[in-house]
Amino acid sequence: MSSQARGLNNFISDLRNSKSREEESNRVEVELAKIRKKFNPGDSKLAADGSNPSLSSYQRKKYVWKLVYIHVLGYEVDFGHAEVLALVRSAKYSEKVVGYAALSLLLRGSDPVMASVIGTLKADLTAGPGDAARGKKAKGAVKNDAVQCLALCSLANIAGLELIQAMHVEVQRVLVAPSSTEQVRKKAALCLLRLTRTSPNLLSGREFAPRVANLLQDQHLGVLTSVMSLLSCLASQQTPEYEGLIPHVVHILSKLVMKKNCARDYLYYRTPSPWLQIKLLKFLQLYPNAIENNTAEYTSQLINVVSKIMIETDVSESINKSNADHAILFEAVNLIVVWGPTCPVEMREGAMKILGKFISVREPNIRYLGLMTMAKLAQIEGSVEGAKKHQATVLVSLKDADISVRRRALDLLFVICDTDNAERIVDELVAHLVVADASIREEMVLKIAILAEKYATDLRWYVDTILKLISISGDYVSDPIWHRVVQIVTNHPQGDLQGYAAATLFVAVSPHRAHETTVRIAAYILGEFGFLIAERPGMSGEEQFRVLHQHWFTVDMQTRAILISTYAKLANLYEECRPLVAPVFARSKNSVNVEIQQRCAEYAAMREAFSPEAVEDLLREMPPFEDRRRSALELRLLETEGENSAAVAKASVPSAVEEQRALQMMQ
Amino acid sequence: KTELSSFHTCILHQPRNQYAAKIKATPSHESDRIKSIIMIRFFLLQNRQGKTRLSKWYVPPPTNTSNNNPSSSSNGSQIPYQNASYTTTNQTEAEKVRIESEVHRLVTSRDKKYTNFIEYNNYKLIYRRYAGLFFTIAVDVADNELSYLESIHLFVELLDSYFANVCELDIVFNFNKVYSILDEYMLAGEIEETSKREILDRVKFLEKLE
Repeated sequence: MSSQARGLNNFISDLRNSKSREEESNRVEVELAKIRKKFNPGDSKLAADGSNPSLSSYQRKKYVWKLVYIHVLGYEVDFGHAEVLALVRSAKYSEKVVGYAALSLLLRGSDPVMASVIGTLKADLTAGPGDAARGKKAKGAVKNDAVQCLALCSLANIAGLELIQAMHVEVQRVLVAPSSTEQVRKKAALCLLRLTRTSPNLLSGREFAPRVANLLQDQHLGVLTSVMSLLSCLASQQTPEYEGLIPHVVHILSKLVMKKNCARDYLYYRTPSPWLQIKLLKFLQLYPNAIENNTAEYTSQLINVVSKIMIETDVSESINKSNADHAILFEAVNLIVVWGPTCPVEMREGAMKILGKFISVREPNIRYLGLMTMAKLAQIEGSVEGAKKHQATVLVSLKDADISVRRRALDLLFVICDTDNAERIVDELVAHLVVADASIREEMVLKIAILAEKYATDLRWYVDTILKLISISGDYVSDPIWHRVVQIVTNHPQGDLQGYAAATLFVAVSPHRAHETTVRIAAYILGEFGFLIAERPGMSGEEQFRVLHQHWFTVDMQTRAILISTYAKLANLYEECRPLVAPVFARSKNSVNVEIQQRCAEYAAMREAFSPEAVEDLLREMPPFEDRRRSALELRLLETEGENSAAVAKASVPSAVEEQRALQMMQ
Repeated sequence: KTELSSFHTCILHQPRNQYAAKIKATPSHESDRIKSIIMIRFFLLQNRQGKTRLSKWYVPPPTNTSNNNPSSSSNGSQIPYQNASYTTTNQTEAEKVRIESEVHRLVTSRDKKYTNFIEYNNYKLIYRRYAGLFFTIAVDVADNELSYLESIHLFVELLDSYFANVCELDIVFNFNKVYSILDEYMLAGEIEETSKREILDRVKFLEKLE
């Protein structure tokens, strides 16, 4: 290693030999002080740019490398910028290397120092191999390619907004210039990519697309790999403008997959550049309607390619080859998912079959990806039946030791849940909730609640399920969940749901110890619908009061507030409750909690203040809640998983059962 | 030089995970997913004790929790840090250190039988252990996990070729070389070149210029 300074080596050894973090920290401080002194001895004059001209090239490089190493170790380095810049501006390649490396690692794009580098960057960037150096022409030309690469690399690593505005035109030029070497082209493509990400829509799609078409003609697979990254990003920003490049992309993919036409260097365990294939497939995933056009030549090519990948991918002795091949296969299936209903049905079924095999293998990575991809595939219309067949296997994965696998299994179960298997799935999920990891519990509770509501043909089962959830995992049952129960029960006066709910909750809250949430729901429901069961043995108004009031001293203020409202309703309905309720109101009239104070005072005074009819009116049953488009549960799911989750998509589509209920409500 | 750990045996004798039995969204949602940024967030090499041997960040870490909210990162092709308010370099560095130590905790606590993928915040960690070093790449949820697993392997093969039976000490004393190899392999959070020969030839050529 020619540029390795002995001083640096010794420094690293010293640090490694430190016996404690404190010792290391001290050593670093000592070194930093030393370097600070070297950079600014105080006695001699500094150059105009702030660097110390008396330092030799060797010294400057050595000290800057040390600063970089210290920074990499995790210590703060806040000086030396002038020296770094001096190195960057140097004409010597060896100094530029150190300078640029330090620039990338030590400085941010938003740093004001960056502005002073722009001139140098521009010069280095545009010094093409065409610029002949004086004297040894060949060596000079090649050296410039290295310098261009240094500049591009640094720019890609730093990319502040100011730099972008100053440089993007140059980078573009370098990218498309016929005289640029392949090394330069690769780096320019990715540099431009970085600039475009920071500054979206930097380039006009209409103008730039033809240039990309040219770049795609390059035979060098490394260049293609970099260009494809750039293209995918540009196309994701301005999708329609790059649609014309689909045939080019398909052509390249075809060469790699069908003919395995690939330079030996790019074979990875005998597979032609898997990374490039994946990038090509990812680009195609931006165009879901690509194969709708049957007359285009590329349509049949593309279908052939995907079929071939699906049929021929197999396990191999070498785990690396297996991984690479399957990486391509999963990307191809993602493409099928994007095509959705436009994809020939045999292909979709074929994909589902392959995934079905994957979810039962022992190899955990494949199983994980199988579950994840099946959840996506199952969302296509008509494909969920194919996925349902694997329900048993997925249920086994729900109990896997690896949390990553369990999450995917939960997601997939959510997607394949339907009226016919809802009960089974929900029961399994509830059973699993008992042993579930804390990190996944909230998600499970939310999803179970959504599924139970969506697919319950008998709403009594829904109420039972939520109660079970509360008893198993009450702390994770958020307010929106039990509020939803109340909404649903209130909105369904048909049948005996309301009576059932009241009776079930009565029983649930009867034991001395009940979860806070159970008490809350019971309080509300009994207050509203307790009259339906008041004739039943043991469930009279007085019994209802007692069963609720036993929890008074262990619940929090919010629950007490609900209880107080319930007591007012009970006192209104049942004479025998009035003497029981009055003392409670009297005691709590002076509560520290404002809400409780107010409620007690007002309810107590109500009988005196208003006529009996008015009181009846006030304490009447609540009207049905209005049906909003998205329930609070769906909103919570959206919050936690983001718009693009399979579960969110599924939750927003009303099930057959839900539509029926909506119709019933309107009648 | 003393060898603390050796990669060489690790690469030649990969555990053979044979399969037990040998085998064979609505669409607009999927292509929407692709439209969000997909790239490498960071690449990390850590040893068992938690010391970071290589740390390359392609986007600064988000420094406020609102950036970990998935719904805020799905607005088109904006990189998460565009949404963060301007933060000082120190805050960013502190955040990197925090995330790196959390990553270390996660990857060292996983059993060999588990997958190589960890779902973390709103991205994924792909990791693999080679002797005493853990290689971790952080990518987006929509990214191809297996391909990055093999990217790690390719990088290890690169190091092994360059250093001839690479060991952890090689990386420590030649950190600048390792970064320059990485820069020929990945740039701007993307894979730049996948031919080992191209990468290594180029690195050696550049060395001669110095």
